[in-house]
Amino acid sequence: MRHRPSLVITAVVALTLALVAGGSHGQSLSGEYKIGVLEPLTGNLAVQGKLHLEGYEIMRDLINSRFGGVMGKKLVLAVGDGPDPTTVASEATRLATREGVKIITGTFSSRLCGAASEVAARHNVIYWESSCVDPRFNKRGLKHVYRTEIDASGFGWYNVEFIAKHLAPRLNLKPNQLKIAFLSEDSSYGQGVTESARQRAKQEFGMQELMLEYYNWTTLNDMTPTILKMKQLNPDVVHHIGFGNDAVLFWRQSKEQNFLFKALVHAGATGYGGGDFGKALGNDANGVFALLEPGPGFRLEALRPEGQQIEKAFREAVQKRTGTYPFGAHQLAGSGLWLLKLVLDRSKSDDPEKFNAAVMALDMPVGSMINGWGVKFSEVGQNANDRVQHYMLQWQNGQLVTVWPEEFTTLRAKWIPLGAWDQRK
Amino acid sequence: MDSARRLGPAQIDVLAQLAVATVLLGGIYALIAVGLTLIFGIMRVVNFAHGEFLMLGMYLAFWAFALYAVDPYVVVLVSIPVFFVVGLVAYVLVMRGVIQASHNVQIFTTVGLSVVLQNVALVAWSGDFRFVRPWHLSTVIRAGATIFNLTQVVAFLIAVALTIALVAFMKWTHAGRVMRATAQDRDAATLMGIDTDRVYRLTFAIGIAAVGAAGVLVAPLYSVYPTAGLQFVLISYVVVVLGGLGDMFGAMLGSFIVALVEVAGSYLFGTAWKEIFYFILFILVLVFRPVGLFGQRGAETLGV
Repeated sequence: MRHRPSLVITAVVALTLALVAGGSHGQSLSGEYKIGVLEPLTGNLAVQGKLHLEGYEIMRDLINSRFGGVMGKKLVLAVGDGPDPTTVASEATRLATREGVKIITGTFSSRLCGAASEVAARHNVIYWESSCVDPRFNKRGLKHVYRTEIDASGFGWYNVEFIAKHLAPRLNLKPNQLKIAFLSEDSSYGQGVTESARQRAKQEFGMQELMLEYYNWTTLNDMTPTILKMKQLNPDVVHHIGFGNDAVLFWRQSKEQNFLFKALVHAGATGYGGGDFGKALGNDANGVFALLEPGPGFRLEALRPEGQQIEKAFREAVQKRTGTYPFGAHQLAGSGLWLLKLVLDRSKSDDPEKFNAAVMALDMPVGSMINGWGVKFSEVGQNANDRVQHYMLQWQNGQLVTVWPEEFTTLRAKWIPLGAWDQRK
Repeated sequence: MDSARRLGPAQIDVLAQLAVATVLLGGIYALIAVGLTLIFGIMRVVNFAHGEFLMLGMYLAFWAFALYAVDPYVVVLVSIPVFFVVGLVAYVLVMRGVIQASHNVQIFTTVGLSVVLQNVALVAWSGDFRFVRPWHLSTVIRAGATIFNLTQVVAFLIAVALTIALVAFMKWTHAGRVMRATAQDRDAATLMGIDTDRVYRLTFAIGIAAVGAAGVLVAPLYSVYPTAGLQFVLISYVVVVLGGLGDMFGAMLGSFIVALVEVAGSYLFGTAWKEIFYFILFILVLVFRPVGLFGQRGAETLGV
């Protein structure tokens, strides 16, 4: 009996301490909240899929340990592997029915998000896409389908912005004097980026289109004929959306054929935008531009305070787990999941209508989030082009570094124009 | 202005370069197709796992280079005995059981083997794209305005040498005669005292050794990943049908024809068209000359 008061006091003190400690990083968590994550973890897309999943996991741990979970609960991920549209659809069904999740996020690839979201909509599950860029994704009239990243047409928009406003002046040319050759793999992604870039280049800036060519990257064994054709047309800028081996093949064979042009611009984490490109070519990769999420050189100070806080925390967490600067896949998944947390904390419910109201009410300027993104969703659940700030990265001595817009980076674009192949050092 | 002045010689340069591209690309296709056509010609089995053995050859080149910095041209010498043994093992474990079965069973078996090998590679080595970058990777030989990639030139020369060697082997050695006899009539060959099982084992092992070596040779040119074989295997089928299933010189010529269609189609009409053109050619050959341009009589009746 004598011990009881001291026991009570100890308990109270311990509890208070726990609350204070917890309070400094948000409230303590009670219970779990599970969402579904679909990524291609096997097959051709596995490299990117695994990085996306890693991004989700890092952000999940960050949310749980430092930012009070979601709706006061510990965030838990139920993961499904979807290497192709058929499998991703059946995994989406499993997550919705067996795991009983009310929200599914994923899927990185434009090959997968259509099928996954279709199934989610059928089960009245909210589909929250963080990285696929198929322009058709939210034009199908599906309910409760959202995308935090811009679509492929937004990539084309940014690419032409860069070509017209940064490359043209540095080449001492007016935008309408620029001659462009468009080359792209023929997926919905490649076509989406290329077609929107073509349209904006022509209509808004009057650039001269010299050629347009699509190809299937999986059966491409030789690009010499295409390169010879381009060489005769003599373009200033090559706008090439590559996927895998095709980017390496084009670059290597262009060097062999001594095909000289002033700049090559790509968009996305595939092809020239993937780490494999640098691995395959080393310093020969120097000079290529790829539109991506921000990389080394990115200025934290250019963001708003709340953006700086989460960007810094996330970057450190990625560094701690992987030993590298975040890859694009980490950033897309991380920012998508962070935004989902913000919405859930506001809606305090996964009821689709309440959730939708919270999404539509979000209005955050550029610089508010990871990657310096802002938020403003359209009626069909698409985040706005001008809020989702994108960046031009350039291969410089084995690394993709941020070079544009210049106010967001400490590093500068080099090799404009590209010059002789052996002079890019 | 000066482009008009350059038009004549420039066009000739382009034409010469396109011809070089055709021959070098054809060399790669021939290198891959020769094993496929050998296995079909003798065993009457279409090996759908052919591309996966190519992929294994590419991984052998990759690992030898990544772990021990061994040049692919050294690895290729090792790869021939290694893949000969791989072929023997694959034959004993998988093919022997279905060699007497119907073509449908054989197709399912080799497709199954293909899926298994792809997924074993995926589990063992992940789906990452890998690259072999020996010092001679970007070495080019210039002859006037035309440019030859050294790796492709070597692949071409080896393809020609391999084809000639196999044809000579089939024609002038006892083992070759026995193999041809078995191909012509399995039952009669058995009655003449030929151990057909041994013939098939040898054939399969030689075919796999050829494609394994091909994988090592093309590894520096392309990315190495578990489904890398698919990139070439479809074209190999077109090549061997065009050349006549089982005909090795035919496969070589078929390779150059497919490469020509691909290069010319890409240059004149765009890369997206190249497959349309060579599949039209494929269909025309099947309709008008089902034995292939140089094929064995009777191959068309096999129903594969």
